[in-house]
Amino acid sequence: MEKIINKNRIFIIIISLLILIAFEGKTTTPSSKVDRRIEMENILPKKVGDYKAEGKDEIYNRNTSFQYMDGAAELYRSYAFKLLMVRNYKKHGYPSLTVELFDMGLPEDAYGIFSYQTEDEEVGIGQGSDYGGGLLRFWKGKYFVNVFSEKETPESRKDILIFGEAISKNINENGLKPKLIKFLPEDGLSERSIRYFHLYPILNHHYFISHENILNLGKNTNAILADYSFPNAKNKTFLLFIQYPDEIQSKKAFNRFLKAYMPEAYSSPHKKVKTENGKWTFAKNHKKYVLVVFDAPTQEKAEELIVEAIKKLSRK
Amino acid sequence: MRPKNHFITRRDLFRKTAYGVLTIGFGLKRSGEAKEEKSRVVLIRDENVINKHGKINESIIQQMLDQGVCNLLEEKDSLHAWKRLIKPSDIVGIKSNIWAYLPTPEELEKAIIKKLMEIGVFKKNIAVDDRGVLDNPVFKSSTALINVRPLRTHHWSGIGGCIKNYIMFVRTPWLYHGDSCANLASIWNKSIIKGKTRLNILSLIYTQFYNRGPHHFDRRFVSEYKGLLIGKDPVALDAVGARLLQLQRIAYFGEDRPLDTTPKHIYVADEKYKLGISDLNRIEIIKIGWMEGSLI
Repeated sequence: MEKIINKNRIFIIIISLLILIAFEGKTTTPSSKVDRRIEMENILPKKVGDYKAEGKDEIYNRNTSFQYMDGAAELYRSYAFKLLMVRNYKKHGYPSLTVELFDMGLPEDAYGIFSYQTEDEEVGIGQGSDYGGGLLRFWKGKYFVNVFSEKETPESRKDILIFGEAISKNINENGLKPKLIKFLPEDGLSERSIRYFHLYPILNHHYFISHENILNLGKNTNAILADYSFPNAKNKTFLLFIQYPDEIQSKKAFNRFLKAYMPEAYSSPHKKVKTENGKWTFAKNHKKYVLVVFDAPTQEKAEELIVEAIKKLSRK
Repeated sequence: MRPKNHFITRRDLFRKTAYGVLTIGFGLKRSGEAKEEKSRVVLIRDENVINKHGKINESIIQQMLDQGVCNLLEEKDSLHAWKRLIKPSDIVGIKSNIWAYLPTPEELEKAIIKKLMEIGVFKKNIAVDDRGVLDNPVFKSSTALINVRPLRTHHWSGIGGCIKNYIMFVRTPWLYHGDSCANLASIWNKSIIKGKTRLNILSLIYTQFYNRGPHHFDRRFVSEYKGLLIGKDPVALDAVGARLLQLQRIAYFGEDRPLDTTPKHIYVADEKYKLGISDLNRIEIIKIGWMEGSLI
């Protein structure tokens, strides 16, 4: 009844790693991969207060990350995620702490994975942070970091935040947020609600649109979803802002979306509809961008948001 | 019939059409169907199964398991009941789940092994495994499987339940993550599994009814439900499980906070793969034991 580790499995893992190395070699030199790992080792402290690193660091890449987090790895893989380093820390008599350091490849994607969930407290660590339930999440530069304890106690909260500060200090460079954010109208915008992503399942997580990929989202599209609150409006309004690689693709996606989501507006010059919940949806294709406002309280409000965003785009 | 080229969209939810119901839950009653077959599942709970130190009581969980199996099969004696599921000559793989934060309770694994040995299955013919099932000699030559895992939310498939627990029977599990893991049930047709599963058990001793981030365990969203859900039909167990997690979220948050992903794979397992029944109206839930706060 022993849980058996089979030689075949090890063999398959070795072969997979060799294939991966060969594949990655097309875009990254082996020395830069080594550099990436060394840089990550230097970012994670060996010791913080009485906490000391324990055990060997665990390293996972895009392909092996499933071994660490099962299907949840898909979320990270939907961004430019490169490498994950996991280090555990022990302090006698206290719950152990774990740090997960993700090299997300690009600062925009470090921000993107961070923006996936921001429902707790901003604690001023890195370029954006979120703490709750014994889990600290923050991003800085191209890195996204999780620090969490086995068990949350008042002491562990303090320790987690100290760890976060130490790690953030070791990341030398800040990164820029996705450019699309600059074009969001500011009136009524809830900053913590901004989500940046590439694939439609992530969009559906935040705001369900369709089981199908009716906006043709993919790894080469950049998308922002943001919430707006307006005076006298009980519910939130959502602005979806998508950048496609070129105008042809944005036009194609726009038409597909209209046919699937608002067919009554497809042939109309004004692409707006009052949906079944009594709110307004307004869509616009501008150059290589598609903008859609969902759940606006009035059609004027929906239009205002899009007009303002396009104005900002034109000023870039 | 779903019209050709009709995509299910948010607006279908507003219209509350059949397609809309699919996306938000189960329990869609299909009209026009004659007398329908029902799936039977047993929910058994005991408020003392977890002691004040958070440890699971081995004898209580054994009783819960035995009583649950007896009620499922309408037998009075647990040995008789187990013998209807497993023969002494069977080679039995117990497909467990080792996810670090919420694994299948070891006490439950032990209770299953104990019962198998009591009915005469040789120790050498029993194995408990999760990620190594494809290379485990017992699983490779198994004649019977018992599927046991905790119930929890799952980022990519909505919930982690019985259907999903067999994903380790494929070498490339990530290939099943597309479309909200819709086609997970296809794995159940693989020869190493097909027709072998005699019993499915969802451990509800602890349930994770919500999660923050894709792979984290947050104790705020874990309940001590102190139950087991036992049945032969993995789809029925998962449908009841999905509903329970939804009710727990409503109880905790005061609203139906949606899952990361709709557990579409449960419905697809029923409609496309005919693995079991996902319609709650066609699932008979036998409740035994302590039912305070059971929600179901």
